[in-house]
Amino acid sequence: MPIRFPSIEFFQALQQRTKDAHDVFEKLGYCDTSFGVCVGDQLYGIRFEVYDCVEVRAGGDPAGLDFVLSAPPTVWNDMVASIRKHGGAGIDHTLNTLTHLGDVVRVEYQDAEGHDKFYRFMATIQEFFDQAQHLDVVMG
Amino acid sequence: MAYIAPKDYSQDPEIVARVMKVMAGELDLSWMRDTAGAIHARPSQPHYGLTMDDINQGPYGPDRIPEIVRHNFSMAPRGAILPPGLPSLGYRLNRKSEVWSDLAGRLFEEGKSRRWAPAHDVPWDALETSGLSEPQQIAMRQLCTELVSIGLVCADVPARWVWQMNQEFHEIKYLLCVQMIDATRIAEAFRKRALVGRGGLGVDCKELGELLKMVFESGTYPCASASMNLVLFSWVQGLAGQLGATARNRADAYLAVRLAQDATRFVAYGVDHVRQLLRARPAEQESLNGHLDAIENGLVGWLGARETIEPLAILAGGVDPVIRSHARTADLHFVRCAAAGLGDRQGRSPIPRFLSLLGGHA
Repeated sequence: MPIRFPSIEFFQALQQRTKDAHDVFEKLGYCDTSFGVCVGDQLYGIRFEVYDCVEVRAGGDPAGLDFVLSAPPTVWNDMVASIRKHGGAGIDHTLNTLTHLGDVVRVEYQDAEGHDKFYRFMATIQEFFDQAQHLDVVMG
Repeated sequence: MAYIAPKDYSQDPEIVARVMKVMAGELDLSWMRDTAGAIHARPSQPHYGLTMDDINQGPYGPDRIPEIVRHNFSMAPRGAILPPGLPSLGYRLNRKSEVWSDLAGRLFEEGKSRRWAPAHDVPWDALETSGLSEPQQIAMRQLCTELVSIGLVCADVPARWVWQMNQEFHEIKYLLCVQMIDATRIAEAFRKRALVGRGGLGVDCKELGELLKMVFESGTYPCASASMNLVLFSWVQGLAGQLGATARNRADAYLAVRLAQDATRFVAYGVDHVRQLLRARPAEQESLNGHLDAIENGLVGWLGARETIEPLAILAGGVDPVIRSHARTADLHFVRCAAAGLGDRQGRSPIPRFLSLLGGHA
């Protein structure tokens, strides 16, 4: 059954993928962070412990998160479409590329150490999104 | 001259007599009675396995390390019973605040867990159609050449200090050993990137050499840590971001993300180390800031060197993206300095003036 993006069901499906593809996430190593994905004005909170995504939720207080990746829905739609087309984010749609100059996806943070967790765990977070290649997604 | 033991053990009649008693079944077992105390260490969270934090209990934990260690200059591990007469290993770093960070144990575990192997993990075959023009290929190799130098020197820096640290600070010593591996991997990975295919190394950058020499020759460990972990690796992280943003193939994108990941563990230790040092000894702030003034001057020399700014501009398609990236890296760098307790460095640092100069001519 198709999953709409953006939706809490989409992020729950990605959460399940961290368990189904456990070996992939284990190879990437420990990832301990709580971060947000802001699609337009809709915030999704995501928490990783060790190798797994252990919690996703809609809404919440961004101040309690290490960092928030924030962009308009069209940017996220393009990234998810690229992941599905290329079997992982295409070279112009990686989180590194989209966030680097802060004008496509903004990295919002309260403190430098929270921000730096984005870099410490970027490979895992990119893989989390790249797992969308295994989902039947409809853009909503 | 090598250290010589105080006696010839092979000829010591007392030792021979003791060994003969053991061979005859007459065991003393005094070492069995003198145990340091049992704890109940188990994985607190099974997914992590048995972590450093799990075993840091009672006499084995770092909480009981005094600010100045005077009770143990030997090789004895923290928490072991110290018999009289242990030799001193001559440690020079015996103040906890000179080296300590509460994050070190976690960063050590994280560094091992997030290891990667350039030989197999980088998708090298993606470089067969790299998407880079010939000038961009040469520019990439030039930046790789500089990253190799950075990796090599940043393996040397912790090596210069780790053996001088008291064994009571073993979490820090463990972390510095992982830093050596991480820095070595930077050198390995980017040397391979420069040479893969019909590759070659670029030109050594004199100004980078001057910066690295200043970092390496820092007179104290706090100065070395602040200059390498807090300053240099902030900019390595920024460089990694630029390389990732301009990557035209999966191999370069992979290398950039791993470079940023590994660089950021150096930064995390640097921020927390300096912060804990300045909380314990606020008077150190000015000497650290004075040292960082000199380091940032060297940094400006590196960033402004033709061998650095020109390849970055060639890869990015112009100098504007390079300036914007440097400005973003500078913002983060100054936020980190403030978080570490160094105050607002923007007013005294040469970096803002350098960026203004670049911006004015862009």
